[in-house]
Amino acid sequence: MRNITADPPPAPRRRKVIDKGFLVLLAFTVLGGIGVALKSGIGRVGEIAVETLGFIVVLGPKIAAGVFIAATLPLLLPRDRVATWIGRNSGLRGLTIAMLAGLLIPGGPSMTFPLAAGFAAAGADLGAIIAFVSGWSLLSLNRTLIWEFSFLPHDMVALRWILSLPVPVLLGLAVRALPLKVRT
Amino acid sequence: MNILIGTVLIGGAAIWMFLQLPNAEWRRASMVASVQMLKFMLPRMVTALLGAGFFAELLPEDRVQVMFGEAAGFSGLLLAAAMGPLTPGGAFVSLAIAAAALKTGAAPVAALAYVTSWSLFSLTKILAYEAPLMGRQEVIARIAVSWPVPLMIAAAGMLYY
Repeated sequence: MRNITADPPPAPRRRKVIDKGFLVLLAFTVLGGIGVALKSGIGRVGEIAVETLGFIVVLGPKIAAGVFIAATLPLLLPRDRVATWIGRNSGLRGLTIAMLAGLLIPGGPSMTFPLAAGFAAAGADLGAIIAFVSGWSLLSLNRTLIWEFSFLPHDMVALRWILSLPVPVLLGLAVRALPLKVRT
Repeated sequence: MNILIGTVLIGGAAIWMFLQLPNAEWRRASMVASVQMLKFMLPRMVTALLGAGFFAELLPEDRVQVMFGEAAGFSGLLLAAAMGPLTPGGAFVSLAIAAAALKTGAAPVAALAYVTSWSLFSLTKILAYEAPLMGRQEVIARIAVSWPVPLMIAAAGMLYY
């Protein structure tokens, strides 16, 4: 954490709430809803909507905490230090750190993506972000040990995990090698 | 239970972070930034999860399982990899589908491709969380480099099976 007592906080960045991406998503959802209405009747649409909203209410505290972390982390983390650890020039070491962080964090997507957004805003580069997200997706210890081992044959889980082990760092390297211009 | 543990963990992290903010001005800035982000994220998340619910009704679990349980050979692998992102819901659903497909005769490498593909590209995760929080360009870049991974893991798995 940086010593910020004397400094004023940075101004927030504004984003348009309704953009093309949101409208496309909305169109898909409306189409899905029409599909369900045609297949199972309009009542089923209502049931699914109520179920989904119930799920979001249960997730509510987690979403609120996740958003708070994503918005606050970049205010608190020292940008230059984050850049040294997991920035553009952090090399293999930075990608490995990001991958290990993804592997170890115990939460689901409502934990992982706010953290990733926070790190990105605090100075992590796209390679490290993708190593982190892929490390969580492919190697998450929590999911592998608790869920995967209880459903799938143990040798298959072990095989999948070992084969996936080098992947997040390789993906990070691939993204760094590509001439992508991404605003994070 | 799992939701409760997760909520406690993430809530604890948020409280700790709040305590790191030095004064009222910073606390207000953090709140303003949080509300901004919530305004952006919440409509997308609600829409994506509703959509996932509708598509789960249109493409029920047993249908997915039958499709990839019957598939064989390279086209079976491709199909298994393609079903990963389309599986609505969390780890519980996709792992149960993989386990059931294995029991009904799916090739182990197809299950490897399916689980890997779901892990990396679950549409529910991408639409409800990743795109709203990280932006479309990050999602595109990640998919651009990761798309061959499920097939590569399956190909490597063939050496074992």
